[in-house]
Amino acid sequence: MPGPIDPRLWSRASATKTYMVAGVAVGTVTSVVLVAQAWLLAKLISTAFHLQGLPGDLNAVLPGSENAAYPLGGLAPSLGALGGIIAIRAVLMWFNSWLAHRSAARVKSQLRTDIIAARLASPHDATLTTGQLVQVVTKGLDNLDGYFGRYLPQLALAITVPAVVGTAILVTDWESTLVVILTLPLIPLFMILIGLATQAKMDRSWRTQSRLGNHFNDLVVGLPTLQAFGRAAAQRKGLKINEGNHRAQTMSTLRVSFLSGGVLELVATYSVALVAVPIGLQLAFGHMDLMTGLFVLILVPEVYLPVRQVGVHYHDSVDGITAAEEAFAAIDAGSHPASQTDPADPSPANPSPAGIIFDAVTVGYSENTVLDRHSENTVLDRHSENTVLDEFCEHIAPGEVVALVGPSGCGKSTALHVLMGFLTPASGTVHAGGMSLGDPRWRRQFAWVGQTPGMINGTVADNVRLGDPDASDDALQNALLRAGAGDMALGHHVGDGGEGLSAGERRRVAIARALLRVDAGSDWMILDEPTAGLDADTEASVIETLRGSGTGVLVVTHRPAVMEAADRVITMERAEDRMSEVAR
Amino acid sequence: MTVAAPRRNQWRLVRELFDDVPWSRTSFAMSVLCSVLASFSAVALMGIAGWLINRAAEQPPVMHLTAATVLVRACGLGRGAFRYVERLFSHDLALRLQSVLRLRTYDALAHTTLLSRRRGDLLVRIVSDVEAIMDVVVRVLLPFASAGIVVMATTIIIATMSVPIAAGLFLSALAAGVAVPLLARTASRAADRALIPTRGELAGIVAEINDAATDLAAYEDTSRIRALQEVDEQLRRAEERAAAVRGFAAAAQVVAAGVAVLWSLGFGIAQVEAGTLSRVELAVVVLTPLALHEVLTTLTQAAQTGTRAAAALDRVGQILDAPPLGQGDAVAGSPSEDPGISVTDASIGWSPDEPVRTGVDVHVAPGEWVALTGPSGCGKTTLAATIMGLIPSLGGHVEVRGTVGYLAQDAHVFNTSIRENVQIGDRDATDDQILDALSRAGLATPAGVLDRIVGEEGSMLSGGEARRLAIARLLVGGRQTWILDEPTEHLDTETAAALLNDLRELTADAPVLVITHDPAVMQIASRQIALDATPAGE
Repeated sequence: MPGPIDPRLWSRASATKTYMVAGVAVGTVTSVVLVAQAWLLAKLISTAFHLQGLPGDLNAVLPGSENAAYPLGGLAPSLGALGGIIAIRAVLMWFNSWLAHRSAARVKSQLRTDIIAARLASPHDATLTTGQLVQVVTKGLDNLDGYFGRYLPQLALAITVPAVVGTAILVTDWESTLVVILTLPLIPLFMILIGLATQAKMDRSWRTQSRLGNHFNDLVVGLPTLQAFGRAAAQRKGLKINEGNHRAQTMSTLRVSFLSGGVLELVATYSVALVAVPIGLQLAFGHMDLMTGLFVLILVPEVYLPVRQVGVHYHDSVDGITAAEEAFAAIDAGSHPASQTDPADPSPANPSPAGIIFDAVTVGYSENTVLDRHSENTVLDRHSENTVLDEFCEHIAPGEVVALVGPSGCGKSTALHVLMGFLTPASGTVHAGGMSLGDPRWRRQFAWVGQTPGMINGTVADNVRLGDPDASDDALQNALLRAGAGDMALGHHVGDGGEGLSAGERRRVAIARALLRVDAGSDWMILDEPTAGLDADTEASVIETLRGSGTGVLVVTHRPAVMEAADRVITMERAEDRMSEVAR
Repeated sequence: MTVAAPRRNQWRLVRELFDDVPWSRTSFAMSVLCSVLASFSAVALMGIAGWLINRAAEQPPVMHLTAATVLVRACGLGRGAFRYVERLFSHDLALRLQSVLRLRTYDALAHTTLLSRRRGDLLVRIVSDVEAIMDVVVRVLLPFASAGIVVMATTIIIATMSVPIAAGLFLSALAAGVAVPLLARTASRAADRALIPTRGELAGIVAEINDAATDLAAYEDTSRIRALQEVDEQLRRAEERAAAVRGFAAAAQVVAAGVAVLWSLGFGIAQVEAGTLSRVELAVVVLTPLALHEVLTTLTQAAQTGTRAAAALDRVGQILDAPPLGQGDAVAGSPSEDPGISVTDASIGWSPDEPVRTGVDVHVAPGEWVALTGPSGCGKTTLAATIMGLIPSLGGHVEVRGTVGYLAQDAHVFNTSIRENVQIGDRDATDDQILDALSRAGLATPAGVLDRIVGEEGSMLSGGEARRLAIARLLVGGRQTWILDEPTEHLDTETAAALLNDLRELTADAPVLVITHDPAVMQIASRQIALDATPAGE
């Protein structure tokens, strides 16, 4: 059984703590109201009981004359009070559900923002696909509704209600309290014992069961592939056998896992019987008055109800914790802040010369930034993408146009990602313009054009304006013109994923965006393969634009034309090639 | 236009599934019986205990209480025991029904051609829609059936003591168990519907941020985060309305239970005064409603689950009823001395009445890479499906010589061993043949690689690896003619270049038709056939 509250969740729930405290308060008030309701009911029933009187003692309790003066034997005020109690309970019920929603909503909003902020903090590390991220942020987080809305309030009630109601019973009849005190802890105790006894079996069967259960999903989602190989119809036989196995396996798991629920109900319900029977006997021997007996009988189920409900909402807790774990995985994947300096130790005024300095920068990525499932990649892929930048040193002077070239996997793009602060180096330092990586003004020095430039929904103007939010339309038009896209309309619509623009047009929009950024004061243009897939003429115009921008340029490329145009070409080697050279 | 098949009502689908599963109705009856006994135990426990205590207060000989004490204890045990049995019965039945529905769905899908990009989401959704049958049985039909019977039985027993009290109890149960859940369902349906566009907007912004993450970070953009927060705020307000509905429903059920208790007390006291109700029975008629209404509290949730499950089953029904497109499985074709593709003046399309294109001419000879380009929706994939024999050509001449292999851009990696994944290409392939294919596809083959399980949706593999695994399938099957669908899509420049290079070598002598919009692919193609936007209606 997972712990009730994840500390990371708890720390994010600070905004909701007020609501949760209020939730516990409402729970306490609810239990007091329940005691009052039980007391009124017991009083009404016992008084009415005595109205009819014991045989031969008809007028002992209420004299007939008085009795006739009031309707319902003078019990109307008590009935009215009971009505009031019920109204209060209804209001409390509504209020509780409102509180629960509020606390869930706060946490969800907080997590949503955190996930997206984490995604942007580590932007090149797409651990989750777009679909998965959308799933985590929308439906995934919705599972917290049940957790905050039902499970946690129930957990609070499971503590307050037995305490308040238990005290009420104790005051009235300590013997019944004894039964409650002895049986109530049995519920969690049995749950734990059964949980321990079944854990091994559950663990064993869980893997098999989920594999069998997912077979259908796997086949259906893979149907287009099966059909292309003419193998779809042939898989049916296997599916049928699998379905039989899945059902058998699931039922054997369920037989065990329902056991805890069954025992829970058994203990809770049988305890009511355990209290009721002795009360009956005490009454029969005249050791107790009727009102006390009824009061205790009505209250006893209320003690067990919230504890039982915790079991009922157990799935909400599992779903909620799973959702929270997914959310934290998404947040942790992105929480590698690109800072190598201690925040308490701001970069010195101007210790190093201007320009970009890589000093012994090492990046080893599979362990650091990618989830471990990816670390297995190397087993299969000869063209491994897990490049390692090893003790990379380079100084690039201000205004210099530098081409970064080398074979696949030599770490060219990685060097750019480190420079842009998308990736944290394992060791080494990076300086630019007298600042250390991690300086808040760091990114403002660079104008970035990625391999596949990202587009936001809106217009071409919206996309170019990312480079400088305050730019005028004329400035935008001018930037587009310099990027070789002078004929592109500013109002041209850009849809999901850059829909409406060809790959070449997207790159030109990105270059225009970068030029605008340079106009706004950036010192460097950083480009990753800006001319891949462009024809020679377009490539030439892009090169001209870059040279004409008047800023420093650092460009990763494998195109000869780009290398020729550069002031300097830095050739990088694959880390393992260098290693083998050293070994020789 | 396709002929609209008569819509299958979701309840008819449920009935059909019950027909298909042997003993399903008996099983369901047993589940209901156990559920009724479990709930009724809880109700009876309170009623009998009330009787016991009031009777005991009359101080009769203890012997007269024996029967009641035994019954109270039995009810105490019954609830947990019956509930356990009920859950096993109902889940077993639900799993059987689910198996039947899964097989039916698989049959329907396997016999309709799914090769089309927009189908991906549909398949993911249908998988979860099929699970709704479990909810229908366990969380909707069973609670309603069982609660209905418990309410009837309780009403009849109370009626033997006092008819007006029984009538009041019954009406309050109708309110809490039928009216409130139905009203809440209607209200929450409206609230949920209002949520849909906002949720869509949220998903859109998240997708946008994810796709453009590097650029947004590089340019320190804050407008997208602000947009996200605005939508989040809208969503929160819309969800608040939905939550208010649930809160009102829960409160209304408390009121219904309270009214039932007040009614019973008011009438009961009057009747005790009048001597028409025994004072011992007063406790029974007052305490029973409390326990009965507890049984009804789950029904609000059940009604909402019912709406969702019905909508899901409705979608499944549409899949089952849709007339099949094409024939599902591709025709393998037989090996030929002179492989190639000859498409002359062909009409292609998914439905005979609606050709996507007419007058298509495509000829691919051995050693040729022919690039097929054009905007999305212009019929590139339709042409591929026609060539593979997945759908019949609607006219003209389509001839394919030799075995055809298709490399999809999103070829599915199955959650099984590498061996079985490659054997999709040829199920009789030996280990040596598979290893050879893997190695030719550019993958490393360390010891034990064939038994490695590649995870769900191929998550153990990188994009480049997954595509190479798909190539190994074609190699192991010895496919002569290749159709490549966007082979470089979603790969970074370097991985794409390496893959393209290897593909070119592997298919040096083969006829290759490559669907693409990547300039790098067009550059190495021997010829290019550009399809313009669909000439609709021609």
